[in-house]
Amino acid sequence: MEQGKSNDREAHLDELFRAYLEACPNPEPGANFMPNIWARIEAREVSTNWFGRVAKTLVTAALAASLILGMLISSLNQSSAFFNATFVEALRADHASTLEPLHLDRISQLEPE
Amino acid sequence: MLVEFDLIQKAQQGDASAFNEIVSAYRRRIMGTISHVIGRPEDVEDVAQEVFIRLYFSLGQLRTPEVFEPWLYRLTVNASYDYLRKSRRRIESRMADLSEQQVMMADAVAGSRAQHDDSEKRRVRDTVQELLSAVSTEDRILLTLKEVEGLSLKELEKVYNVNENALKVRLFRARQRVIKKMKEVTGPSSLVAKDKEAS
Repeated sequence: MEQGKSNDREAHLDELFRAYLEACPNPEPGANFMPNIWARIEAREVSTNWFGRVAKTLVTAALAASLILGMLISSLNQSSAFFNATFVEALRADHASTLEPLHLDRISQLEPE
Repeated sequence: MLVEFDLIQKAQQGDASAFNEIVSAYRRRIMGTISHVIGRPEDVEDVAQEVFIRLYFSLGQLRTPEVFEPWLYRLTVNASYDYLRKSRRRIESRMADLSEQQVMMADAVAGSRAQHDDSEKRRVRDTVQELLSAVSTEDRILLTLKEVEGLSLKELEKVYNVNENALKVRLFRARQRVIKKMKEVTGPSSLVAKDKEAS
């Protein structure tokens, strides 16, 4: 019984789809079909070109900016004695007083009196 | 194939007249498919133009002219999908207005197709479109291509790049959802009545 109903529904749906195929007209392309396609293609090409130009300009500007920044940083590095010094030299310069020798004659001088 | 391979190759190289010939050869078929998929005759030409514009811009990506037709179908499916997605809200709002009477009318029209007139055809279109809104836009297009356009599973396999079994499963589920929707709209009474008539 249930199987019969199911088949009935399936058949009904198929019938509805067939009716739909006939109900949908076969549209004829209008006289301006081709001209409109070309007009839309040209419009899209213009906008694509504009975006392309903008993107190219932005990329060039970004490249130039990174080049300038790179050059600036490298010239700063070269001129600074701090960055050219070795680690030990930099440490010594920074803590010169604390690293000075104690100049003690006897070890007993370190002991509290 | 409605056009020769060398015509496609010429169009790929930027020959505008070759492209025009391709459009002329395929526009009726594409418009027919779009008409069945979207069910809105007033928008068919616009969507078809979009298909050919996409064809123009992506023709260079086509490596083998043998797959031109499935590929053009894929562009058609994608353009129809975009159209349906945009108008989905409108369709959903209309779904709420679908009355049992409309479906009964469509039923009657399906039974006696000889008596069609324009308004009845419109009702059938609206009804099927409403029933198809029970499934996702992707399944709706797939179902239309299979059931209305009559594409074989092999052809659909090429269009979707999906194996036949996966398509069968999707189609079965989509059909079940549409049938469920049909039951909801018409109610069990109409089916009982049909059964009685049959017996």
